[in-house]
Amino acid sequence: MTQEQAQTHVAAEGEREIVTERVFDAPHERVFQAFVDPELIVQWWGRRVDTTTIDKMDVREGGEWRFVTDAPDGQHAFRGVYRAIRPPEFLEQTFEWEGMRGHIVVESATFEDLGGRTKVTTRSLFHTGEERDGMLASGMETGASESYERLDELLASGTDD
Amino acid sequence: MVQYQQQLDRTFAALSDPTRRGILERLGRGRATVSELAEPFGISLTGLKKHVQVLEEADLVHTEKVGRTRWCSLGPQDLAEIQRWISGYRLMLDERLDRLGELLERTEGERT
Repeated sequence: MTQEQAQTHVAAEGEREIVTERVFDAPHERVFQAFVDPELIVQWWGRRVDTTTIDKMDVREGGEWRFVTDAPDGQHAFRGVYRAIRPPEFLEQTFEWEGMRGHIVVESATFEDLGGRTKVTTRSLFHTGEERDGMLASGMETGASESYERLDELLASGTDD
Repeated sequence: MVQYQQQLDRTFAALSDPTRRGILERLGRGRATVSELAEPFGISLTGLKKHVQVLEEADLVHTEKVGRTRWCSLGPQDLAEIQRWISGYRLMLDERLDRLGELLERTEGERT
């Protein structure tokens, strides 16, 4: 409908990290709020196919979160712990898919005030370099198309049940 | 558990190469000989055999010699879980900030 304000820029950093950057046309308090308000986070967290439900969201350092998503490829649960909360500038938490226990990603988001607009930099620190490389490769060479193809398959397979 | 981790590490290492992912994609459509696999990638048979060996060690590919021909097919290792993890997270990385942008646009003026 409207043209993209900005594309998300995705890049590798170090051996185990993926960094994304994106500028939002909103003040940084509002952007930060979307990360910590349960009513807002369910509206954007996850993939487009996901419907997210919050099981637990204890937004304080050491507090746990657990989200459950419903999608054509089934129900998935994700969990983690908030590690650092410094409104409205910084947020860090762990991320783990319950289907792949032990592969914990440390995710952080930095909110930079650009005077009415906000630059959000997210960092995902993966368990292994291989995991990061696989992650990066799945988007970089084939663009999102590989993921979308995969998604199409999932959607197609979901129509049977 | 340790064994499971090692298996995963082997799998990820095997998947970290675009040619090897291409081989798996090709084998997903049916079995193929080593030379059939080498052709689209424009690499030597020796080079391709090395890739197949890495995939075979990770149980991602199974090979069988029939007469003078070596046939390759998808191996016993179930890729579904790992692929779901990788492509799911990656897709989330790509999509969630788009969705956040849409939410911020949608709710502009509603909140201070």
